Amino acid sequence: MTISRRVFVKSGGLALFSVGLDPLFLARAAFAVRPAARPADRRILVCLFQRGAVDGLNMIVPHGDPIYYRERPRIAVPEKDVLDLDGYFGLHPRLAALKPLWDAKTLSAIHAVGSPDATRSHFDAQDYLESGTPGVKATPDGWLNRYCQHDREHQDTPFRAVAFGPQLPRILAGTAPSLAIDDLQAFGMRAPQPAARDRLTRAFEELYAGSATGLLATSSREAFEAVQTLKRLDPGQYRPANDADYPRGKLGKAMLEIAQLIKADLGLQVAFADVTGWDTHVNQGATEGQLAGRLGELGQALAAFTRDLGERMRDVVVLTLSEFGRTVRENGNSGTDHGHATAMLVLGGPVNGGRVLGKWPGLDPAQRFEGRDVAVTTDFRDLFAELLARHLGARDLSAIFPGFVADSERFPGAIRG
Amino acid sequence: MKNRLVWRGFVVVGACLPLAGAQHGAPLPSAVPGGALTPRDSAFHALNRLAYGPRPGEVQRVAAEGVMRWIDRQLSPDGIDDRRLAQRERQFEILQHDRGDLAALYTAAQRARRERKLAGATDTMADKDAATPIAQRGRRLAGEFADLAVVRAALSERQLYEVMVDFWTNHFSVYFAKGADRFLTPDYLEHTIRPRAMGKFEDLLIAVAQSPAMLFYLDNWQSVAPGAAPPFPFSARQRGGQGVRPRPTGINENYARELLELHTLGVEGGYTQQDVIDVARILTGWSIERPQQGGDFEFQGWAHDRGEKHVLGVRFEGGHDMDEGIRLLRLLAGHPATMHHVSRELCQRFVNDDPPDGCVDDAVAAWKRSSGDTREVLRAIFHAPEFWAAENVRAKVKTPLEFVVSAVRATAAEPDTSPRLARVVARLGEPLYLHVAPDGYPEREAAWVNSGALLDRMNVAVALAAGNLPGVTVVLDSIVALGDADQLIGVVNEKILGGTMSENTKQVLRRQLAGTSEPMQARALAVGLAIGGPEFQRQ
Repeated sequence: MTISRRVFVKSGGLALFSVGLDPLFLARAAFAVRPAARPADRRILVCLFQRGAVDGLNMIVPHGDPIYYRERPRIAVPEKDVLDLDGYFGLHPRLAALKPLWDAKTLSAIHAVGSPDATRSHFDAQDYLESGTPGVKATPDGWLNRYCQHDREHQDTPFRAVAFGPQLPRILAGTAPSLAIDDLQAFGMRAPQPAARDRLTRAFEELYAGSATGLLATSSREAFEAVQTLKRLDPGQYRPANDADYPRGKLGKAMLEIAQLIKADLGLQVAFADVTGWDTHVNQGATEGQLAGRLGELGQALAAFTRDLGERMRDVVVLTLSEFGRTVRENGNSGTDHGHATAMLVLGGPVNGGRVLGKWPGLDPAQRFEGRDVAVTTDFRDLFAELLARHLGARDLSAIFPGFVADSERFPGAIRG
Repeated sequence: MKNRLVWRGFVVVGACLPLAGAQHGAPLPSAVPGGALTPRDSAFHALNRLAYGPRPGEVQRVAAEGVMRWIDRQLSPDGIDDRRLAQRERQFEILQHDRGDLAALYTAAQRARRERKLAGATDTMADKDAATPIAQRGRRLAGEFADLAVVRAALSERQLYEVMVDFWTNHFSVYFAKGADRFLTPDYLEHTIRPRAMGKFEDLLIAVAQSPAMLFYLDNWQSVAPGAAPPFPFSARQRGGQGVRPRPTGINENYARELLELHTLGVEGGYTQQDVIDVARILTGWSIERPQQGGDFEFQGWAHDRGEKHVLGVRFEGGHDMDEGIRLLRLLAGHPATMHHVSRELCQRFVNDDPPDGCVDDAVAAWKRSSGDTREVLRAIFHAPEFWAAENVRAKVKTPLEFVVSAVRATAAEPDTSPRLARVVARLGEPLYLHVAPDGYPEREAAWVNSGALLDRMNVAVALAAGNLPGVTVVLDSIVALGDADQLIGVVNEKILGGTMSENTKQVLRRQLAGTSEPMQARALAVGLAIGGPEFQRQ
């Protein structure tokens, strides 16, 4: 079936297709005709996915627990190197750039957070984290996309939900429009002369508007709308504010581009980026080493982002998430294997900062999950639901997390009341 | 749980159809099963799925030969003359080096890097970015390696074989950029995957389990029985790979888990965490020689766990060294969950992102009949009515590799030996041999279709048609003669889109061509818009 956008607009949106199935592309088409509502709400959620399962115990270190040191003779962060937070937990030393944010009460950590599903498969666990439905594989869309579907008050712009990377992640897949941008500057048709560029853009826009079906149709429409907007923005000219020093590499670039889109006031509300390199089965390292390198980059990127945004951080929350944690005990290769609960960070103006949130189950083998991993005491949906409700103002949490009863009593308290 | 019930059903179905295997001895039916497509359309469909798209004129040639006959020939790649590709392969230096050569190069590059680091500490003026000649050589060979995959896909006459090489490379995915896999992966492709791409699944599974590339990638090479100690000083032995490391002191579950979840049973294949642990124990000792010795597979008896193990309810008596692992891999290769899992992946690749049950059933039945002979499983899929059903024709979106290679083939372009064309594939989202996670690149369109990637495809199409795409030479004269707008549109539709050009596309092309007076430019525009347009993204 071919649906021209023009035909679709004329025939009055979803009413025409209200019978029977509501496939992805039709439902998305409905968004294109919805009139813009009130001016852009400025509150923004940035999600950084530590894909590969970060070792929460070496990120937010329980240095007050001798079991931690007993179980990790080769990879524990030595007491003298830990940046103490509350006498029991401390930051990995390579996250030092985040300590001032902690002290300023704009950064918190949630420990022992994770999925109620027991899987130790990266792929299943990532799938559940992104779909927001642990244990249910058939969920077609991601929870960030479902938030966009159900909060229709928000102004509709092609930049409302943006993933920075070559592929649209599962967490943003769904019927609400969302963009994948690998490189802000190179987004669009490339041709030496502006006239040739505009002409090619128009030609392809007409080709796809008239002949594309399914996802090809919706994705191309989102693409051409974004191209028009970016043409005015001129991203090549961007300079970070306050001498913010982003680390080299993908993460730094993604954070810089997110900051740029936020400052451009294009209606960005949900941003997403992947950070890889956490699957430390071998030679994980302690104060220095593999994991330390990744944490160093993460800390520097978050600190630069905060500097760059300055006052705008008042409306921004950054959340780090990961599919599960790693074994309490180090493995035979000075690394850690797949575990259960991990730690997540929340950063930003609205954050109830300066504390480690969540109920700490302890590291004693009797308190561990299946005798080996940190037990989950906070269902990640309780954290996500709190951010959506208290930060972004979502009302219908049951539609965003189907099969889950969100209860503010269980919110970990990441957002200031 | 549901899957398990389904494959239990197949066991029964397979047993009831003892005659089903006999049909393959009989002459092939000349008509396509289902028979709803015209000969030209079925040739186009087969070329899109069993091959990386048609070259100019190929749809007609396959239709004239008879598509089922062509498929049958593709299923026996050894009988297909591939001299032209063989000639091209001789230009690739990487194929002239065995694993030992590459290992030596790799260790030399590492040594050079260490020395530079030491030198850099005293000489702060040293240019950090300038690579040593040996590192440059390594980088060039690495680039050649990715490009070789693109060149083979584009030029080989054994198209189905190359598609299957890509399928298995993805099914048994390794990550080229992880330490020693930089020198182990080329050998993995040449000597593990390629010789077995059309053979028995069990042989491939065992070969992969013994491949240094996989053993390194998923850490099994250093998984040892708790308490086991090597009969020699370990630190000296462990140099190379990722440098000096502490002695391993226990099992590592990484390979064991992915073996069950991805390579064989599938995530719902009914195994437990205890199964994963015992698989890891069985495979302790499956390791690698050090690079200086060639980096070959090596069973290290001292590291092997001699206790009793149980996997999927089957008892593995201890003390049988490597035989335990071989027995385990045979058990997994012939397990009904594996048949279903891999057959489903094949149907997803060849038929539809959501593979139809009937087709998967046929593939599983063929698997049982033939003890997992890839050719017979494929034959069953290509004879299934679902393969030819109208709703599955053009139902799949091309992956970046499929898009780039099909565009190169459609324009009869000549790829060179530089890594530039492989870089185009990488930019579109599919850097070859560089998928970090062991699940390989996804087969579903949602993973590839997004706004940014689509714009990139359009840019690649325009550059290719204008002769500006790095890494290939394209001479449009041989396929599209200069002409007026209607002639151009007719030829482009016929030769590049297999006659699938929509009315809207024709109108847009007509409007665009009306504003272009220069005939070469008009032709490049028509070809570029066709390849970047929506019809060409599908297969």
